[in-house]
Amino acid sequence: MKIVVLVKQVPDTAEERKLNLATGQLDREATDSVVDEINERALEAALRLKDADKGTEVVAMTMGPADAVQALRKALSMGADSAVHIVDDSLNGADTGRTAATLAAALRVTGFDVVLAGNESTDGRGGVVPAMVAEHLKLPLLGSLVSADIADDGVHGVRQGEGGTLTVRAALPAIVTVTERFPEARFPNFKGILTAKRKPVTTLSAAELDVPAGVSRTVVVATVERPPRAAGRKLIDDGTAADELAEFLVANRLV
Amino acid sequence: MRPPIAKFIREVSEKMSTPAKKSTAARSRWSQPVWVVPGVLIALLLIVLFTKWLTGLPGVQTFLHDFPGASSLPANAPVGFPAWLGWQHFLNVFFMVLIVRSGWQVRTAKRPPAQWTRNNKGFIRTKNPPTKISLDLWFHLTLDALWVLNGIVFVIVIFATGQWMRIIPTSWDVFPNAVSAALQYASLNWPTEDGWVNYNALQLLTYFVTVFIAAPLAIISGLRTSSAWPKTAGTVNKIYPIELARAVHFPVMVYFVLFTIVHVTLVLATGALRNLNHMYGGSDEINWVGFGIFAVSLLVIAGAWFLARPLFLRPIASLMGKVSK
Repeated sequence: MKIVVLVKQVPDTAEERKLNLATGQLDREATDSVVDEINERALEAALRLKDADKGTEVVAMTMGPADAVQALRKALSMGADSAVHIVDDSLNGADTGRTAATLAAALRVTGFDVVLAGNESTDGRGGVVPAMVAEHLKLPLLGSLVSADIADDGVHGVRQGEGGTLTVRAALPAIVTVTERFPEARFPNFKGILTAKRKPVTTLSAAELDVPAGVSRTVVVATVERPPRAAGRKLIDDGTAADELAEFLVANRLV
Repeated sequence: MRPPIAKFIREVSEKMSTPAKKSTAARSRWSQPVWVVPGVLIALLLIVLFTKWLTGLPGVQTFLHDFPGASSLPANAPVGFPAWLGWQHFLNVFFMVLIVRSGWQVRTAKRPPAQWTRNNKGFIRTKNPPTKISLDLWFHLTLDALWVLNGIVFVIVIFATGQWMRIIPTSWDVFPNAVSAALQYASLNWPTEDGWVNYNALQLLTYFVTVFIAAPLAIISGLRTSSAWPKTAGTVNKIYPIELARAVHFPVMVYFVLFTIVHVTLVLATGALRNLNHMYGGSDEINWVGFGIFAVSLLVIAGAWFLARPLFLRPIASLMGKVSK
């Protein structure tokens, strides 16, 4: 079985993340870049399948600037067999639609049985790229799963919705996204770090993938810095606190 | 109302525990190295000149004659150092270096490299579920346990073999002798070295303080701050608050570091080959054997320092518990 795990290099959430106010794009200098944790969980799910069946091939794929190869190295050191890096200056600032089209094109090139991804990234929080990729590839999407059982004859899992849980199943190939309910990822070990340097990383450009050039269909209208948080209101009980509290809750539609 | 002592302890511990931003006061001209270095040199020179003058006085000369700088040992005191003592000494250095480093990491890490939760099925089992600690703290505590074990073995064996007489004062004249030795050091007329048989009184007192005061202080203050200490021990915790332990733990580390600097400097400055042979070679001869063993031991410590990183600590830590993010 061949599993492609989509990984995204994101700014570390432990630090303060910044947007460039002029361009509306992420300020990559402001924070350290890491593999998004949700992608690590997706990779962990793939690596557990590989642990159980050595015939499983795990490929890590990312689209990002030259520096994003660090994210792939991390995935390789954790245990992925090979990596695909889609890097092209023309993809700079690509929106979710263009990103999904590019990833779908790259997935057609590499081939796969299962695509594993995170349900949403910590930076964009869009959560739409996997669905768009599924649409481009005309494949079923099993999104936001809390558990998954992936086998040669298909994948079935439990999906957490707002109203309850859903048991979903699909034949392969399929796109699966994981939530934070999936197990925490392993740490790379010494052997993994040493062998990661020798594992193949394929580089693909937009031209090689034959994706329509063109700019993104969405535009950033405005970028503003988040205003500092306003101080809260203190209620001091002089006999009317209960009423004031009730009023506050009603006014903010919290009851 | 808080009693003043508690307030003092809190203030000290706050100063000790939060690496505060440099205030403008700290940047006064006295903190500039350009002033500090000549200042210290002049102070040292003045001390030397003063003690030189002092030791020239007839009364002081009589004192130095009466108290030559070392107390005489009991007749049954052992001569020289056996191999086990050298081995204990090496292990102690090894653990202390890594303990200071890991303790520093515990203090300064903003985000620990990993977390560790003891698995409650192994060697140590407790009724309450174990708490999650950082990998740095796990390493610090593991080293502490080994260091304490090494210390217990050391204390038992020095009492069993009579070696204790070398580092515990056996008569009150150790104090005037220590003053005498201090005067001799300060006047640059250093006391005669006879470390194989008997330490000078100042040396003896320093070793005594290090082994029997600083080390126990480090242990009890460390135990108090660790999660192993019961949180519900009401009266005990009131008498011995955690803030006090925090205020003690760090200065004790500073003491150990300063002790090590002075100790190593004096070992090298007062007949390096012979001194190193005493502790590492187990003989009173002057040859390179002790130096060689010492050099290898430094390499071992440097190697452990280099290898003590999350990549290699995680597999070891996962033998005793669960390593997570």
